[in-house]
Amino acid sequence: MAQPSPLAQYVTPPSERLPADPQRLDAEAGRTDVDAQAVDQAGETSDPLLDTISLYLHIPFCHAKCHYCDFNSYAGMLGLRERYVDALLAEIALAGRRSRLPDGAPRRCRTIFFGGGTPSLLTSAQVRALLDAARTHFALDADAEITLEANPGTLEYGHLDELRAAGVNRLSMGAQSFDPALLKWMGRIHTPREIETAFAAARAAGFDSVNLDFIYALPGQSLDTWQRTLDHAAALAPEHLSLYSLIVEEGTPLYTWVSQGRVRPPDDDLAADMYELAEARMAAAGYRHYEVSNWARPGHECRHNLTYWRNLPYIGLGAGAHGWYTGHRYAEARPIREYIARVTATTDASTSLDEHTELPLPAGAVVDDEAIPRELEMAETAMVELRLVEGLRLRAFARRFHTDFQTVFGARLGEVWSAGLLEVEGDMLRLTDRGRLLGNEVFARLLPDTPALS
Amino acid sequence: MDQSHIRNFCIIAHIDHGKSTLADRLLEYTGTISKREMAEQILDQMDLEREKGITIKAQAVRMRYTARDGREYELNLIDTPGHVDFSYEVSRSLAACEGAILVVDATQGVEAQTLANLYLAVEADLAIIPVINKIDLASADPEKVATEIYHIGLPRDEIVLASAKEGIGTQDVLEAVVKYVPPPKGAGEMPLRALVFDSKYDAYKGVIAYVRIVDGAISRGDRIEMMQTDSRTEVLEVGYFSPTLVAAGTLSAGEVGYIATGFKNVKDCQVGDTVTLAATPAPEALLGYRPAKPMVFAGIFPVEGDDYPLLRDALDRLKLNDASLVYEPENSVALGFGFRCGFLGLLHMEIIQERLEREYNLDILMTAPSVEYRVLKTNGEELFIHNPAELPAVTQMAKIEEPIMDISIFTPARYIGTIMELVTARRGAFRDMEYLEEDRVHLTYRMPLGELIVDFYDQLKSRTQGYASLDYSFHAYEEADLVKLDLLVNGQSVDALSLITHRDKAQRQGRLLAERLKELIPRQLFEVPIQAAVGSHIIARETVRAMRKNVLAKCYGGDITRKRKLLEKQKEGKKRLKRVGSVEIPQEAFMAMLSLEEE
Ligand SMILES: Nc1nc2c(ncn2[C@@H]2O[C@H](COP(=O)(O)OP(=O)(O)OP(=O)(O)O)[C@@H](O)[C@H]2O)c(=O)[nH]1
Ligand code: SF4
Ligand SMILES: [Mg+2]
Repeated sequence: MAQPSPLAQYVTPPSERLPADPQRLDAEAGRTDVDAQAVDQAGETSDPLLDTISLYLHIPFCHAKCHYCDFNSYAGMLGLRERYVDALLAEIALAGRRSRLPDGAPRRCRTIFFGGGTPSLLTSAQVRALLDAARTHFALDADAEITLEANPGTLEYGHLDELRAAGVNRLSMGAQSFDPALLKWMGRIHTPREIETAFAAARAAGFDSVNLDFIYALPGQSLDTWQRTLDHAAALAPEHLSLYSLIVEEGTPLYTWVSQGRVRPPDDDLAADMYELAEARMAAAGYRHYEVSNWARPGHECRHNLTYWRNLPYIGLGAGAHGWYTGHRYAEARPIREYIARVTATTDASTSLDEHTELPLPAGAVVDDEAIPRELEMAETAMVELRLVEGLRLRAFARRFHTDFQTVFGARLGEVWSAGLLEVEGDMLRLTDRGRLLGNEVFARLLPDTPALS
Repeated sequence: MDQSHIRNFCIIAHIDHGKSTLADRLLEYTGTISKREMAEQILDQMDLEREKGITIKAQAVRMRYTARDGREYELNLIDTPGHVDFSYEVSRSLAACEGAILVVDATQGVEAQTLANLYLAVEADLAIIPVINKIDLASADPEKVATEIYHIGLPRDEIVLASAKEGIGTQDVLEAVVKYVPPPKGAGEMPLRALVFDSKYDAYKGVIAYVRIVDGAISRGDRIEMMQTDSRTEVLEVGYFSPTLVAAGTLSAGEVGYIATGFKNVKDCQVGDTVTLAATPAPEALLGYRPAKPMVFAGIFPVEGDDYPLLRDALDRLKLNDASLVYEPENSVALGFGFRCGFLGLLHMEIIQERLEREYNLDILMTAPSVEYRVLKTNGEELFIHNPAELPAVTQMAKIEEPIMDISIFTPARYIGTIMELVTARRGAFRDMEYLEEDRVHLTYRMPLGELIVDFYDQLKSRTQGYASLDYSFHAYEEADLVKLDLLVNGQSVDALSLITHRDKAQRQGRLLAERLKELIPRQLFEVPIQAAVGSHIIARETVRAMRKNVLAKCYGGDITRKRKLLEKQKEGKKRLKRVGSVEIPQEAFMAMLSLEEE
């Protein structure tokens, strides 16, 4: 590149590089070289975390399908709920066994996330059963973060109380907006009032870590309505807020409307204004911006999602669930029936345990399996870590990949450096305020030029 | 076959009047093609022809017909294209024939290319058989059309009424051919002279020359010589079109057919050349053709610089099948190595572009078309400029001239006003108006070609609800007050965007072009100024504001792969942008000037 990036000073001379430690990845969780910079939110070192997992459980049921939603979720399938939970239970057992440590001990699990769909459509007994299974088959941390996503339209105090008692300690609610017209337009089943009621019920049930999701850059939404929604949200004082710019996803009714010209796609400039407004309002209300679309009270950053953003391993189970484990990204079948059928078939087959594979699930349960070459893993790691406001830890990166960030990516980032999208402070490389809004420009340049074999 | 029983004729008409459909009926009637093998416009064999529903290449085919007089005739038919861009195909076909069927649509009447093609046929001294086609249509008015045909100088009582769709009048057409088209005159005992009127390339047989045998005869195994190029070869095969190639032992005087030459090099066998026998060469070559005169010029560049040799090969191959295509290497600061190509018109240009993309799988970028300017330098030197970027500095030019066209428009009289307005706005000058019928007129003008190629035809069509038809031909070079308009992107002049325009129009065009580029150039990481300039004088300025937001709102566990693929796709998409300096410019931008006028 034309001018050396400010990152150049962080290139470690080869002689000073940490020696590659062959035991590092399969070592037990007890490493002691705690690096002050490498301590993350949960107060742990990043290296040993590579040997732990987070567990994602997908619950694909919804009362009605929202117009913008492309999650793997289905309305009118609640009849399959029992069988679905049975399949999940079977998979938890299977994944727990297959992911055991070399000495046979269950693998450490730090967080559990019930995502959807609408996990609040599960009975508390079902949630309890799933958590019990997780505790049996994994070494679940005593203070594990256990999140459940909920639709404010389906929440009652009694149910929340039971969920809390079952061990769920974090609630994430899809509030989306406080504007009734916009809620309706999105096809949401709840009203602004129901958000408040559900939120109060969650507090009453003892949830002291609650997230609210909101969407902006909606057609017809003005800066003004957005500000009112933000203020209203801040007034409720949840511990965590996710604010997403509307994405027009292929295959959704919204996508059809936009391509038919019936709905105007969100305007990028207005969306940028809304984003900056959110940053200002959230800061004023005492929230810390910690990821592109996420804000939290200090200490309430979502540990489960940090697993994704630090590119640490996780096991995803359920219809359409994805996992990242032992160098593979895998996915399960999306249709609920197919998922159940595959799980039933693989758990019945007696050979499935002996089958040699690095995946936490038998091949029959997996529909997609991509081995991620190191070059791509570096790119993906940088891509997700740079989403964090704090940024990418340069030394931890060098330790993980035995090479410097600058050596790998420096030459490709000249333009985004000169455009002022990146900055370095101490050991951290991060997007600038402007860069955060233009993340894709940086991310795309991180990707290897020839797309990885897929 | 006895020469007196041979008839060589072509079918000519205005575009879409039904030439190819009439050919279908003739082929069917004579049993050349069975009902089972028949398809609509079967002679339009190229994919592009079938897709666009128009004829692009002339196509020859031999038929046998037993006439009412009980005798058998060999009829060699050539179906020709009607679009003005391809009149070179028509002229070449005419030279291989003694007669022409002039088809006129019973609902449209005489139109611009009816007249233009008629003139070409008359000039070539051909017998002409007027046919009114589509009489099956409710709106057909054969009486009125017959009057129009009479007005352009053809005998009313020789007109054949037909419906190529319904098969009405097919036999009458064939009988008229036998009756009015004279048999070929050439002498069988004279040394061989065969006129190459077309050619194509075959991987096994080399160049295949399409010929009309004027004198003598040719057989497989003969050693032949091309009289212009002096190239020699041994004939691999001779035969005729049915319409696929069918081998025959010999072709003799008066016949139309093909010669497989085995030449591997295009340059050895050129359209218009005369084939003779090496042992007994004819003393004098045939007249041949005036080479086609390209009207519009544009740069063609490979999107990926590495494809340059592939592009060159593809053009060489296309040239073989399309004698009117000309090209020379060009080097653009903005776009790298490519070719400056000359075309007969915009449709021709579009077709070459599509053929390069489809038949040769090339990713190419084209610049906006320009015409050929004649420049007299102060030092007395004369230059022909096909590329605006090459225009000498103002101080070096004594004068600059542009091509002026004779244009001919047939239209219902109610559109005279609107056409007048359009032509005047394009610096056109009125010449004449002639009533064909009470409500139909023939207008003639003179207009700069540079104005004609920018959207004029589309404008004419849309302002006359499609009723007006247009034909044009070169008139002369005339001096004009022309200037070069440059476009600067991010302070850097982009040669491929320069254009030559009239001084009075520069201001407005500069403004429109800058506005258009502003829409077309995607927002970049930094602000990009766009300026239009004449010389050092900036006449318009726009700014592409810096990009503000481009980030995926969400990226969680399940999304990582998907989001990565999305970014990979975006990245692929960017490869289709051309980098000029540090700015990425989409390919459409180089064609922007074409869609500027009358917003
Ligand atoms: N109704 C009716 N339609 C006809 C007749 N002859 C041709 N057509 C239609 O007219 C259109 C043009 O016919 P073509 O045979 O392709 O015309 P062409 O003169 O060969 O056109 P170019 O080669 O592009 O100049 C087609 O849609 C034909 O189906 C006819 O006698 N009656
Ligand atoms: S509730 Fe959530 S998962 Fe269900 S359809 Fe709506 S957006 Fe999609
Ligand atoms: Mg045709």
